[in-house]
Amino acid sequence: MIPDLFTELPPVRDALVTETSKQQDKTADLCLSYLAGDSGEQLLEYNEHGVPRLRRDSHVRFLHKSLGPLPAGFMAADASRPWFLYWALSALVILGEDVSHYREAVAETARAMQNDSGGFGGGGRQLSHLATTYAIVLSIALVGDEDAYEVIDRKAMWRWLCSLKQTDGGFQLGLGGEEDIRGAYCAAVIITLLNIPLELTPESPAWKEDGSATLFTGLAGYVRRCQTFEGGISGQPDVEAHGAYAFCALGCLALLDHPRRIIPRYLNVPRLVSWMSSRQYAPEGGFSGRTNKLVDGCYSHWVGGCFPLIEACLSPVDEDKKGGTAAAAAASKLPPAPESLFSREGLIRYILCCCQDTSKRGGLRDKPGKLSDAYHSCYVLSGLSSAQHQWELAPSEETSPATGRADPVWRVMPYLEDNDENDVQIFDQKDRLRPIHPVYAIPIQSQEAIRDYFLVVDGLKKL
Amino acid sequence: MPPKGKAAPKPKGTENIKPSTSSSNSTSSPAAQQPTTSTSPSGNTPTAPSTIGERSQQRFHESRPFDAARQKLGLSGLSQAEQTGWVSSQLAARSSTSTGSSRRTTPRLGPKAQRELWRHVNDASLPIRTLKNKKSAPTPADVWGTDRAGQKIAGYSIARYEERAAKRTALTALQVTSRAFREARERAKRGLVVTRDHREQPIVLVESAKDVQEEKQRRRQMAALRRELYGEMTGEFRQDPEWDGVEPIPQVEPEAALATISYPEEYAEAISYLRAVMLQKEYSPRCLRLTDHIISMNAAHYTVWLYRAANVFALQLPIPDEIDWLNGVALANLKNYQIWHHRHLLVDNYYPTLASGPPSTLSRFADSEREFLSAILAHDTKNYHVWSYRSYLVSKLGLFDAAEIAAMAALIGDDVRNNSAWSHRFFVVFSDPRQSTPGTAATDADPAVPREVVDREAQYAMDKIYLAPQNQSAWNYLRGVLVKGGRGMRSVEGFVSEFVRGLGEGEEREDVLSTHALDLLAEICKEKGERERADLCLRRLGEKWDRIRVGYWEWRRRCLDDGQ
Ligand SMILES: [Zn+2]
Repeated sequence: MIPDLFTELPPVRDALVTETSKQQDKTADLCLSYLAGDSGEQLLEYNEHGVPRLRRDSHVRFLHKSLGPLPAGFMAADASRPWFLYWALSALVILGEDVSHYREAVAETARAMQNDSGGFGGGGRQLSHLATTYAIVLSIALVGDEDAYEVIDRKAMWRWLCSLKQTDGGFQLGLGGEEDIRGAYCAAVIITLLNIPLELTPESPAWKEDGSATLFTGLAGYVRRCQTFEGGISGQPDVEAHGAYAFCALGCLALLDHPRRIIPRYLNVPRLVSWMSSRQYAPEGGFSGRTNKLVDGCYSHWVGGCFPLIEACLSPVDEDKKGGTAAAAAASKLPPAPESLFSREGLIRYILCCCQDTSKRGGLRDKPGKLSDAYHSCYVLSGLSSAQHQWELAPSEETSPATGRADPVWRVMPYLEDNDENDVQIFDQKDRLRPIHPVYAIPIQSQEAIRDYFLVVDGLKKL
Repeated sequence: MPPKGKAAPKPKGTENIKPSTSSSNSTSSPAAQQPTTSTSPSGNTPTAPSTIGERSQQRFHESRPFDAARQKLGLSGLSQAEQTGWVSSQLAARSSTSTGSSRRTTPRLGPKAQRELWRHVNDASLPIRTLKNKKSAPTPADVWGTDRAGQKIAGYSIARYEERAAKRTALTALQVTSRAFREARERAKRGLVVTRDHREQPIVLVESAKDVQEEKQRRRQMAALRRELYGEMTGEFRQDPEWDGVEPIPQVEPEAALATISYPEEYAEAISYLRAVMLQKEYSPRCLRLTDHIISMNAAHYTVWLYRAANVFALQLPIPDEIDWLNGVALANLKNYQIWHHRHLLVDNYYPTLASGPPSTLSRFADSEREFLSAILAHDTKNYHVWSYRSYLVSKLGLFDAAEIAAMAALIGDDVRNNSAWSHRFFVVFSDPRQSTPGTAATDADPAVPREVVDREAQYAMDKIYLAPQNQSAWNYLRGVLVKGGRGMRSVEGFVSEFVRGLGEGEEREDVLSTHALDLLAEICKEKGERERADLCLRRLGEKWDRIRVGYWEWRRRCLDDGQ
């Protein structure tokens, strides 16, 4: 009932023992017992495929609780409270919960964290930071409605983003703060979701007298400099490839132009796919973040979430509709992906068997033996959702007159294991989660609602 | 104004109310109050209150002479005289306090009725003010509140209460002295001093260290008393005369705010001072100490780090001193990111000094940085933030040298699977500005890389692959080196073939020592135009040797047909 791929150690193993192999062996053994259902955590009921149910109610409770109030032990999270909002709300939405009753609370919380000079800090009177601003903007999108949207001071946001834009194309995360690829992704999300004008203010470090530089100038080039010899993506140029940054890179590019056109133009796709695929381990089934590191539930999103973007970028272009663009022709040199580039079954097994906290605490986690938290709950569920769905890009690659960018239309459908009789759905149909947008990581309806709201406001004129 | 009801009521009948000498205004100076006598609620025996709560209760009833009986018996149960007394007391109380809304609900009496009422009130010595007893308000005994231990103060014995009162007096005395200290200091700041005849004179008074010490002592006592009396925590900063003049800005959360944190008081206080000094854009040694204090509690607070950097630069502190301090913080917070960005800012700032000095200055600094990095990597050899900083340091100081490569060799020697060390080595070797083309992508060939460097690095990787053939770090490195050198994968065909035996010759004979070798072999076959053999390699990977990646291997098979 459980394929031996998930009950046995892999066929090729080295004899040499090092610190890395010790950790890896320990983790594989631990996961084996969880995958086989004899971990000692017997509270789970397993189906005929040896897969336990999703403990939905217990996760929902955990997530509501993580919206606070939080005990003193969370002091270290003082500068990342917006993340708690996003993680919990996003996870609840993926679980199918209605979060609109948090609308006012989110608006109030956000208002207190917004700075007059633009952007949101990690808390009241903290400096604005791109990561916390990203988390707040997405939280606002998740709870929805104009009242919440209107909290955002877009004009100040625009000025602040301009001040973060660097001459090398990237973004600092805060004024005087570090510059890395998270900045590139967060900025692209904020700019496109809120319809922020691309013009730079003269105060911007990247401003050019001839007006040729914009918020997006050189951004894709910055992303490209983060691809390493391994094929993966690093946080900054010249560092080790890391799963979280792979998602940021692909997400950023997919917002700058049509993924099918821009991803092959700026990244070495065969090396990237090789690296991404190498992140999935057997027997664990989950993803690791780097070569020779351990599997961790959160990479279900950071690495797992790269696959829809890559698969869409490899998907065949309908000859009649593609309009004969040169870039599409370049991309089409790569063959379409098969049904799936990674093992969905492996990831689903890892998540349902190893990542659920089966105690009263609830929530999802990195791996067995670790405590669940809001961060892992969000990204593990997001990974599960993406493994259960299939995304397609509508063939149109036309540039939208409203935004001046290709605004790709994503279509989602449940991923159904009905390709041949060997393929069966291993999880209970009731455990199929809500799909989320492959780039914005929120439901597509939420993304469209906030985008459409701000699209009406035409660029700078009505800021 | 009607007369104040100082006189004790003389109730008619047999109500359980006894005369008292006190008015309702009993809470203003409780220490001065003497216990009064009273009857028990049901009988006639007067008992002395044992707690201050009881005492309050008694006084409450004394201010409402007919209430207890009325509540018990109803208005109609009272005698005629009692009814008159009750009504009069009600009216007296209302007309003496009638303002605003009560004026609207209470019809004003005509002059004649007024005179009649007050005559009656005086005759009966009715109290004209009553202690309030609204439904929503606490009972008289409760208004005392609770002490720090959560115990009701109303339950205190009178002796204990007096002890408490004495402490309050002591606190007041300390506060007065402390205020004098602050005022003197304030005047001293303005260059004024007060003479005996209370005139300010422009004499500069230098506050002695002893004065400050005494004030500190005083504030500690005050803090202890406040804590004991009111459970009020006086933070370190309030107690420290150094922080006088800074009005802390406490965190005020909107009522509905999400993910609020119950901060430890010490932290909340420090942050409220941080907000205040940041708002004033103050850069000073005390601010620096404040940031140190906050970082020791929460090193993940990015705002405090950026503010610290601003202080360091504004005060022009020696960068090596700051780095020394930072080393301690880094060792205490191995997972922290901000520490490494701070270090980055420090080195950026320090670099012009380093670069303008003799070369030995820079190399000494580089050595000490590398020494510290080795120490910190010993705790966590794959710490991403440390490696990011190391990459920056190499670029900034131009450390593309033998020492850096040797440091990586040592780490790879310890654990050949340390991918961070492999990645860093790749950067040091192939981004050396003396032998690389700037701007070349990491996945592209670079003709500026000398042939012997490519040979040396390929050999290094192959030596390490022999130690652990399934170690992907070394394989990725080897492939990366060959790409940089513009060499086809087939240049290592012989080496790769050592790890794959009897491919496609049946389960018995086929043996694969490394899936990465089989992957590379597929690529070599494709390069050589051996499409079928390439397909076999990929098929066997998906079928047997690396099944979890079957989707990927299938895609690679398709790539064989698409000329990729
Ligand atoms: Zn994780």
